[in-house]
Amino acid sequence: MLDATVLTQAIVSGILMGAIYSLVSLGLVIIFGVVRIVNFAHGEFLMIGMYATYFLWARAGIDPLIAVFITAPLLFLIGAGIYKSLLRRVAAAPDFSKIFLTVGISLVLQNIALLIFTANYWSVKTSYERMVLSLWGISISYPRLIGFLGAVILSFLISLLLLKTDLGKAMRAVAQNREVAMLMGINPDRVYVIAVGLGAAVAGMTGAIIMPYFYVFPLVGVNFVVTCFAVAITGGLGNIKGTLLCGPIFGIAESLGVLFIGADSGMIVAFLILILVLIFRPSGLLGEGRL
Amino acid sequence: MQISVKSFTHPKGYVPLTFLIFLLILPLFLPTYFLHIAITMLFFAFVSEAWNIIGGYAGQLSLGNAAFFGLGAYGAVLLTHYYNIPPWIGGIVIGGAAAVVLSLITGLVCFRLRSHYFAISTLAIGEVMRLVFLNQRQITFGAEGITIPYKGNSILYLQFLSKAPYYYIALALMLLGMYITWKIGKSRLGHYLVAINQNQDAAEVVGVNSARAKQIALSVSAFLTAVGGTFYAQYIYFIDPDFVFGLGLSIEFALIAIVGGVGTVMGPVIGSFLLRPAMESTNALLGATYMGVHLIVYGGLLIAVVMFKPEGLVGWVGGLYERFLELLPRKEN
Repeated sequence: MLDATVLTQAIVSGILMGAIYSLVSLGLVIIFGVVRIVNFAHGEFLMIGMYATYFLWARAGIDPLIAVFITAPLLFLIGAGIYKSLLRRVAAAPDFSKIFLTVGISLVLQNIALLIFTANYWSVKTSYERMVLSLWGISISYPRLIGFLGAVILSFLISLLLLKTDLGKAMRAVAQNREVAMLMGINPDRVYVIAVGLGAAVAGMTGAIIMPYFYVFPLVGVNFVVTCFAVAITGGLGNIKGTLLCGPIFGIAESLGVLFIGADSGMIVAFLILILVLIFRPSGLLGEGRL
Repeated sequence: MQISVKSFTHPKGYVPLTFLIFLLILPLFLPTYFLHIAITMLFFAFVSEAWNIIGGYAGQLSLGNAAFFGLGAYGAVLLTHYYNIPPWIGGIVIGGAAAVVLSLITGLVCFRLRSHYFAISTLAIGEVMRLVFLNQRQITFGAEGITIPYKGNSILYLQFLSKAPYYYIALALMLLGMYITWKIGKSRLGHYLVAINQNQDAAEVVGVNSARAKQIALSVSAFLTAVGGTFYAQYIYFIDPDFVFGLGLSIEFALIAIVGGVGTVMGPVIGSFLLRPAMESTNALLGATYMGVHLIVYGGLLIAVVMFKPEGLVGWVGGLYERFLELLPRKEN
């Protein structure tokens, strides 16, 4: 019953999905690494990106892949706005204040979406949605392949931004040592705004590239964010390499779980991996990082 | 606490007593729908009080308490369903024991982790439980959920035709939760927990066995939460994994305590007495036309409290209460 093709297919699907997990987690990790806030509203940033993509397609006929260039700045503004109006005020507060502030933001955003867009599932139609790439008995749908490539390219560009540009260096400097960064003439508050904006923008871009093969509904972010927490923690919170590595691990674990345990329980395997990793390496596979 | 006749001539004595008597006679004149709201207020005060022991006193932000809740609920329902075992045994004893076992596993895995890591790893444990109960359809009926076998009016099976008995059980549970929290707060363990919350390393240096203290707090919290789960199942007559093991429920336990005031006996009570009616009434008034509006209110309140009153509303409500007491007649001695 279980042959090599089925298994390979599951692994390939897992990797395709895993790249998306990596990308969403990357946004989470940028925010955590710089601002030290675990953003429970991150899934809602993704959700807003998906709705924006849907409406750009439905009202203006814009292809989701082009919508990336619109959802990124849109979510950057939303993220930066949320930092400036809310998150900044709890910078010195205990962790539970930070966590539950973002939980509150998440509840509000979810239910505003429910109020405006109803609980219906919406999806976009593209010219390439039915195209399938077949290789050695494994089939990959074009939207998923494009989403995967998009995720890989975006992950690469963002890593490059963090590692090579002055802005990225400033962000990492603030993440590593705020006081010294200030002495070097970096304005940490500005960096915080940019970090939250960038983290949100990454979620917005992900929302656009997955829209061709996902439905959008008000609670779509919840499933993603729980998985991406697990990815970010397993990789080591704030550790970019760990995050990029763990997305595909979780993607594969999920699709093998679906194959062996059942369609609604694929994530059991992924969460068990998280728990095992935490038992043996409490600060994640590659250790906690500061970007 | 000394109780004498004299203490009831002072507002500090007779005001709580009057309030308690008021709570005791409330079901006699409250219409059914409002009685339901009152039950949810008392009930959420209880489960949030249970969260407060680990989340408030010990400062370990558990986001997986729904796992314990679900075990209490499923223990009661499944054992009645399959073996006719009353919920007292199936839910409270067996479900409660299962919750304590899970709390030991959780402690083993999560207590070495701090802060965000702890929160998210407990969240993962809750999610694993939810997915396991979703998956084991042959036993748990999966996503479609399970209804309690109907037994009529029966104390043995904790089923009542009217709401009043549920109300009194919920009231007793809340008072029990408050008493246990108060007791722990005054005990050596309570001081250990507060010390761990403030600075775990410093507490360990002065000889506090932090792992042990946190474990006891989590196990007590788990057991009480499982009792809450049993009550919920018996009251609502229907459970499904997505609700009783859901992240939403875990968040709600914490949220009520935070809005009220973490690490205080009255915090969860105040949080629940403010939030539940606010949520139920916005839902009843606006929920039909504007879906989700009650959760916007909920989230908005949470944001406002965290930003402007991070220590919760307990101080503010306490101040109002003190001023109210000043106005009342008293017999000085």
